[in-house]
Amino acid sequence: MRLEDIKRHTRLASVLGFCLALAQPGTAQAPTGTSAPETNAGYVPAISGAVGYVQNVNGGVTSLEPQFNPVLLIPFGSHVQLESRTEFFGFFQRQPQPTGPYKGKIFKSVDYAQVNWLANTHLIATAGKYLLPFGLYNERLSAIWIRNLQDTPITYPIGTRTSAAGDGFMLRGAALQRDKYSIHYSAYFSALSNIHELEAARTAGGDASIFLPKPRLEAGVSYQRFLQPREINSVATYMSWQPPSVPLDIKAEGDYSYFGRGYWLETAYLFQQLPIPPVFRKTQVVGRMQQFFPLNGGGNGLPRVDTQRFDFGLNYYFRDDLRFISSYGRTFSSQRNANVWNFGFTYRFLYPLWPARKK
Amino acid sequence: MRRFMPIAVAFLSLACLASAMPASQTPPPPTPDSKASSHTVAPTNHNAPRTGEEVFKANCGRCHMPPSSISPRITGTVVMHMRTRARLSREDEQLLLKFLAP
Repeated sequence: MRLEDIKRHTRLASVLGFCLALAQPGTAQAPTGTSAPETNAGYVPAISGAVGYVQNVNGGVTSLEPQFNPVLLIPFGSHVQLESRTEFFGFFQRQPQPTGPYKGKIFKSVDYAQVNWLANTHLIATAGKYLLPFGLYNERLSAIWIRNLQDTPITYPIGTRTSAAGDGFMLRGAALQRDKYSIHYSAYFSALSNIHELEAARTAGGDASIFLPKPRLEAGVSYQRFLQPREINSVATYMSWQPPSVPLDIKAEGDYSYFGRGYWLETAYLFQQLPIPPVFRKTQVVGRMQQFFPLNGGGNGLPRVDTQRFDFGLNYYFRDDLRFISSYGRTFSSQRNANVWNFGFTYRFLYPLWPARKK
Repeated sequence: MRRFMPIAVAFLSLACLASAMPASQTPPPPTPDSKASSHTVAPTNHNAPRTGEEVFKANCGRCHMPPSSISPRITGTVVMHMRTRARLSREDEQLLLKFLAP
């Protein structure tokens, strides 16, 4: 390890320790805390995240992809919170193909590191490196323990260039809340950054959505203006529906940018209510179809030819935090048709970082 | 495009069919050590004020499988995180805290 690396890690550990030390006074149980005196909710720093392993076979080429994505949550009282997610992603393939030994490396990146100030219902101010709120996927579904299918949609690069994150500030919240509906918004500005682990493009954008809690239906639209080097607009429209009476999850998104347009439609159904033996009721079937049509040559993370794909997944929830995942997909394009298989597991963890106070 | 239209129609038809089906009388499988789901489900009253359970079920399931339990020590921390991510209101946050860590 180089001297610069040691210094950098020492600085990082110092900052982390300082934050934890600052957070300690807020770890008291809510009755003696700063808010929510009527509950026993505690504000202790927590570590969450996911561990996963996926064996991917794409067009006959096998990749082994272990992942570890810890999320650190450090509250300062009940209105300010520091949160970050680091991704450790391993990628191993046979070298040389197809009979050589598996070789590869583990990549590390900071997905986001942000401070949130929860001012009131209408305003949550965020500063730092944050996930870009574009469409459904990047901010809400990208965690490996959440996504029903491990492969990201074809249109994922739209609105998330260049690093899926922004460096700057963001305002968000519930613009309006009624019993029958609520309207949410996000607005952000990101500065250009080439700093290691803080890479981001100069962008500005926002998102607005309406959620109907009774039918559990949500619809929204996202907009982004990419401000370098060529200014381009990206737009996404999306919907999400989880009917209360059925364990069904339907999500769809359409994306448009200078480099192409496309959509994806995903449906997931949990066998929870079927009259079958209980052990099978934890099975989930997933289907997704998507199409993409390049514009102006495509590229920038997007296919350069018309591409279509469907996926079929079968997941099994041993517990709410541990599941087996599998899927089969087929990609159709004029370049090549290919089968894509995924097998593996994901585990979501959530632990306090601080011991309970003795009474 | 045309080749995928039947698949899209099939997806939507299945979704509509499933949502139109009455819920089975078979109860869902019990989740281990379930604090969140151990609360009794009250009959729906459209005039009653919203409850923490309703907020929990409506919002957490929008993105992921709701957790079966959360340590009370970190309930406030987790709900703050989810309030930011899901842009929940202050009122929803308070209802969730009462439900998860009464």
